[in-house]
Amino acid sequence: MTEPVMKLKNVKKTIGKKEIIKGLNFDIYGGEVFGFLGPNGAGKTTTIRMMVGLMNMSAGDVLIKGRSINKEFKEAIRHVGGIVENPEMYPFMSGWKNLVHYARMMPDITEERIIQVVRLVGLENRIKEKVGKYSLGMRQRLGIAQALLHNPSVLILDEPTNGLDPSGIREIRAYIRELAEEEGVAVIVSSHILSEMEMMCDRIGIIKNGELIAIQSVTDALQQTDEKEVSIEAAPVDEAKAALQELTGRNVQLNGNVLTFTIEKEMIPKVVTDLVHKQIQIYGVHANRSTLEDKFLDLIGEGVIE
Amino acid sequence: MSNFFQLIRNEHMKLYSQKATWIMAAILVVLVIGMGGLFKIDEAITGGEVPTGDNWKEELQQQNEQLMSQEGQAQEVAYPGYTNVEENQYRIENDLPPTEYNAWDFVRDNRGFVALVSLFTIIVAAGITANEFRWGTIKLLLIRPISRTKILLAKYVSVVIYALTMLVLLYVLSFIIGVIFFGMDSFSQTYVYNQAGEIKDAGIFAFTVSQYMLSFVELIMMATFAFMIASVFRNTSLAIGLAIFLMMAGSSIVLFFMNKEWAKYILFANTDLTQFMEGTPMVADLTLGFSITVIAVYYLVFLLLSWFFFTKSDVAGS
Ligand SMILES: Nc1ncnc2c1ncn2[C@@H]1O[C@H](COP(=O)(O)OP(=O)(O)O)[C@@H](O)[C@H]1O
Ligand SMILES: [Mg+2]
Repeated sequence: MTEPVMKLKNVKKTIGKKEIIKGLNFDIYGGEVFGFLGPNGAGKTTTIRMMVGLMNMSAGDVLIKGRSINKEFKEAIRHVGGIVENPEMYPFMSGWKNLVHYARMMPDITEERIIQVVRLVGLENRIKEKVGKYSLGMRQRLGIAQALLHNPSVLILDEPTNGLDPSGIREIRAYIRELAEEEGVAVIVSSHILSEMEMMCDRIGIIKNGELIAIQSVTDALQQTDEKEVSIEAAPVDEAKAALQELTGRNVQLNGNVLTFTIEKEMIPKVVTDLVHKQIQIYGVHANRSTLEDKFLDLIGEGVIE
Repeated sequence: MSNFFQLIRNEHMKLYSQKATWIMAAILVVLVIGMGGLFKIDEAITGGEVPTGDNWKEELQQQNEQLMSQEGQAQEVAYPGYTNVEENQYRIENDLPPTEYNAWDFVRDNRGFVALVSLFTIIVAAGITANEFRWGTIKLLLIRPISRTKILLAKYVSVVIYALTMLVLLYVLSFIIGVIFFGMDSFSQTYVYNQAGEIKDAGIFAFTVSQYMLSFVELIMMATFAFMIASVFRNTSLAIGLAIFLMMAGSSIVLFFMNKEWAKYILFANTDLTQFMEGTPMVADLTLGFSITVIAVYYLVFLLLSWFFFTKSDVAGS
């Protein structure tokens, strides 16, 4: 296997008497999107702060391209770009000046490169405006632009979809996938929302109370789990049940007038159409969580992800 | 080294992109012009009959006799104060005719505005690190291939440059406004003053420049103090508040403890180096060398504390 771009070795953090991070070990490879999933307060941001040297570790080390963030900070950090928590920029300066500011802090970043990243995140038309006037989505994009200036090998984004609308989230997802697949960047994305993680990550590490409790490859999980549990509220319920059993060839459970069964996701529209053709009244269709979600929730305990 | 220069450029870009910086400069300009106008209108401030004619020596002599006859009474201090017997005597003996109130006197008077420059520099010094924490931008600032020491140093140097800029602005502006309102005698005008009971004279340009430079010491000490508090506590208001409080209360603190053995080790007993140039030191047995040593020790402690907290502490959540 190739060398990991980033390696966490028994990373611990104790603040006061409280052990917030309890010995994290994992590797992240070039070209993959690694999801760092956990409920609020699990320790995602704290871990990220240690990865980029904003916080000292109580024990352990983080190696970036083999360089220790503790002992060789400059050599290690030059391969990292990131946003920690909110994309906070200088509100009284234009987006352009903000980028120039960070460009000056890194070697050999030309004006052409700044223009290039501005285009990449689609801010050409607004880049001369003050950041104070930007929407959260635009600041998020400027944050990504800033993180990409120096062509980092590792891109760390802490909750990049926070406060974004669905189209903003789709855009971010597209950038991230492109960076990983086309530029071979190792991308680390943290979130407390599983459904987002499933869509953009290759692997997901689940953190709870400062401990990594599982690492799951999303593609594997999805292959096993393109089945969904579906509930349909219909009348007359007995006719509906019989029809469903016939259509799916599966066991259908009846609960009040709600029928529950498992089926491949792609089949859901067909089943609904068939029921309608049979003159069955449908009051509601609900696709419950996938088995991947079941698995995560089992691991971290029901209801912890909010 | 080249990236140090880039860091300084960044700090300047941020500083001068903020409205507050320009408002502070505007306040200084307006006050200096206003002061000039006030002095121009109110002759009582700049008035006082100045004997400038051919027989100025006799006139000064007369004034001295008059002054000596009222010995013991409280003397009214009139500007420019040819009311000092020894100084008048010195002028007569050294053939140094008095001059009317002019641009140089205005420059000399406006040294009072250094307090305002101090205030502005304290605000800048307190904000330059603590604001990055307040804005949250510190996180993006510190994840660059540059050591925290270098970033902090660039910030400190930028504060010093700011202070110098404002001081030069004050001096040059005072001179220009002074020339416009009061005219100028000559560049080589001689200034007569009393230093710890001894009468001396000096070229007015050299004298005012060195006075401004000496005030700069006090200014930089307070700014460095604010910079230190801001680096340690990461709180702009706390740093501004404490530094301004100490700046205002400094001499009262010294007066309060004046009789104590250790009073001379209080920073504020030493920061006003002009006391060695004109007038008498606040606390007895102070010497210039001693004061410089005390100031240097405080200065190093301030810088060391700033450095230690800025480079060693976690940048944790707000
Ligand atoms: N500076 C701090 N001092 C004490 N506890 C902290 C500090 N920062 C974070 N914590 C605690 O550490 C835990 C993890 O926080 P954080 O890393 O922000 O979680 P996440 O990003 O996963 O939501 C939380 O329980 C939080 O209360
Ligand atoms: Mg967080």
